Amino acid sequence: MAQVALRDPDDALDVVQDAMLKLARSYASRPSAEWRPLFYRILENGIRDLQRRRTVRKKFMVWLPGTQEDPDNDAQDPLDNVPDGGPDAPELMMQGQAMEQLEVSLRALPARQREAFMLRNFEGLDVAETATAMGCSEGSVKTHYSRAVHALREHLSEVW
Amino acid sequence: MKEPMQDTGQSAFEARSRELFHDSVDAMDMRMRSRLTQARHAALDAAAAAKRRPWFLRIGTWTPAAGVTAAVLLGAALWFSLPGGNHGLTAADSQPSLEDLDIVASSDEGAGDAIEMLQNDLDFYDFSDKASNSGPAA
Repeated sequence: MAQVALRDPDDALDVVQDAMLKLARSYASRPSAEWRPLFYRILENGIRDLQRRRTVRKKFMVWLPGTQEDPDNDAQDPLDNVPDGGPDAPELMMQGQAMEQLEVSLRALPARQREAFMLRNFEGLDVAETATAMGCSEGSVKTHYSRAVHALREHLSEVW
Repeated sequence: MKEPMQDTGQSAFEARSRELFHDSVDAMDMRMRSRLTQARHAALDAAAAAKRRPWFLRIGTWTPAAGVTAAVLLGAALWFSLPGGNHGLTAADSQPSLEDLDIVASSDEGAGDAIEMLQNDLDFYDFSDKASNSGPAA
């Protein structure tokens, strides 16, 4: 979910890790039924904060000389080279392409619709939990979700 | 990792996108899995540490109280820092509102008439309501 919104696996992992820590530190004493929606609420806030920071950073970076990132300077994580035991390559490619198309379409949606779709459909939250996670009413969740499904179906009907 | 569908009315499109997402999670590489596991362990350690801490040392307990105290202190500082005991509302400021009250409350001239008219209107609305409830006039 974070990866779809942020388009960067490292940033996504950082946000997820922060959300886990915040949940554990602040809400560990809450009933376990509340953890899921709380976690996603923290995560969504983290994603939005990072997106805002990125926007501001981009605005300032344009004016600073020599701020172009050099991809060769990135320290290699040894785990990058570890082979992973997953499905076959062609199957993975097909799935990967379909998921990529879905991600592209999701990014084209308004943020609230995207959140509602991912929480309801991907993460399996019910309407009440999604409303708690998004900080809005159940009616709004239903509206956002239905609009998201409609838009995605329209967008992907030609490619799927 | 896959969960049963929640909505019986879920469309094929929704089912497909859900399946694709879970497949992509299953196909996640080792590096990502490892980092997520580390994050989960760190969160569990943090939760355990938070539970061990006595209640009066938890930041969350003091945050609302600290906020209220800060707001009260700021308000008091602003109030007393105004020069010459000028605390926002002067006698001149309060004068027009008293006059307004006087006009509204006075029973003579315009205001009294207005109240009377309002009373008449209420009588008329009452009559109109009864007339409309009793059906068309015979």
